[in-house]
Amino acid sequence: MSAESVQTAKGLERLIEALRVLPGVGPRSAQRMAYHLLQHERQGATQLAQALEAALARVRHCARCNNFTEDEICGLCRSPRRDPSLLCVIETPADLAMVEQTVSYSGLYFVLMGRLSPLDGIGPREIGLDRLIARATDGQVQEVILATNFTNEGEATAHYIAEMLRARGIRTSRIARGVPLGGELEYVDVGTISQALIDRRGL
Amino acid sequence: MSRRRVDQEPAYVLHSHPYKETSLVVEALSRRWGRVGLVARGARRPRSAMRGLLLAFYPLRLSWSASAELGTLTTVEWAGGQSALSGVGLMCGFYLNELLLRLLPREDPHEALFDAYAASLARLGAEQSPAEVLRSFERRLLTELGYAPLLEQEATSGVPVDPARQYRYEPELGPVPLQGSQGAQPATGICVVSGRTLLDVARDDYARPQTREEARRLMRTLIAQRLPGQVLHTRAVLKELQDL
Ligand SMILES: [Zn+2]
Repeated sequence: MSAESVQTAKGLERLIEALRVLPGVGPRSAQRMAYHLLQHERQGATQLAQALEAALARVRHCARCNNFTEDEICGLCRSPRRDPSLLCVIETPADLAMVEQTVSYSGLYFVLMGRLSPLDGIGPREIGLDRLIARATDGQVQEVILATNFTNEGEATAHYIAEMLRARGIRTSRIARGVPLGGELEYVDVGTISQALIDRRGL
Repeated sequence: MSRRRVDQEPAYVLHSHPYKETSLVVEALSRRWGRVGLVARGARRPRSAMRGLLLAFYPLRLSWSASAELGTLTTVEWAGGQSALSGVGLMCGFYLNELLLRLLPREDPHEALFDAYAASLARLGAEQSPAEVLRSFERRLLTELGYAPLLEQEATSGVPVDPARQYRYEPELGPVPLQGSQGAQPATGICVVSGRTLLDVARDDYARPQTREEARRLMRTLIAQRLPGQVLHTRAVLKELQDL
């Protein structure tokens, strides 16, 4: 085997290894992707490499909402049409996109980029709770809406944020949970129905 | 390990982490098989039926088959009857789970420990004083694992513990009576407790604030002994939260 072919195989190995950083990509998918890029998609692969490099160089966290942006402060945070008295706390940018899709929320956001996960050692520092506190106590925010997930970790996150903000005189609320819109009880999971019964309200 | 099928076993999820592209590895505490590691295939797909059910702190009935170290989860059923943990109770729940994950080896069944865990969650759900729940669970866990702390007799001599005396607690031996003014300034790493506290702990009586405080330090020393050099994540996170 020539030195050159060893070199080539090494490049392929490195690519496969590198692709495994993607969520849900195991060794087999990484190998499939690598072969696909090198065999059928060389131009696309170049674009991917350039886009990745450009994104890494330019994309950073918005100074106000912590979401990804290329500016110091993102477009959403600068928009005069948003209500600065409402701040919605969510776990991920995907959650923000979801809330935006409802077209029924006009306030601003804070993206935690995670959640408290005590068993994994993910605490307040890892999710920037001190920055959230600073953001929420800027004098303009009147209410903080906690829209973290309804998992144990999301609940713990919401609880501690609420405690910290209450201690600083900020009003907090938690999004409601229950049977999904259009949901037929027969097809909803028992945990959801059980919690919906506990959280029932008068009519 | 021979092939095994387990049907509708009472169990709790202790923790889970992503596995392969769409699956989860669930660490569960089951009543008759102890702690088990189970693969929940496809549980991270958006429409997975298991997805919303594999939550810690809720009584479940799990079915699985196992022929290797990791079993394969086949069904998850909601058993009900436990109210959701919230706030401090929730943090305590994470702590109990971390203790079980770190101290209890896989496939080492302790039915009494399972029942004590279920009872502790019920008490936390009912918002009972978390300190009492934690202390009595810690002691139960150590006892089930074969490290029952000596509480009512002095180490080596076997003399009954005197509620009016101060003791230095040696994790491997038990309470050693302090002489004279010793204990006014105990060296770091040495746990000093009153005889009264030791006797209170032996009866699971945490009504006295001083007992609660000393018992917390005692249990911490005893647990640290079993986890040399390890930091409990849940304890560290709770401390960071309190410092904010
Ligand atoms: Zn922003």
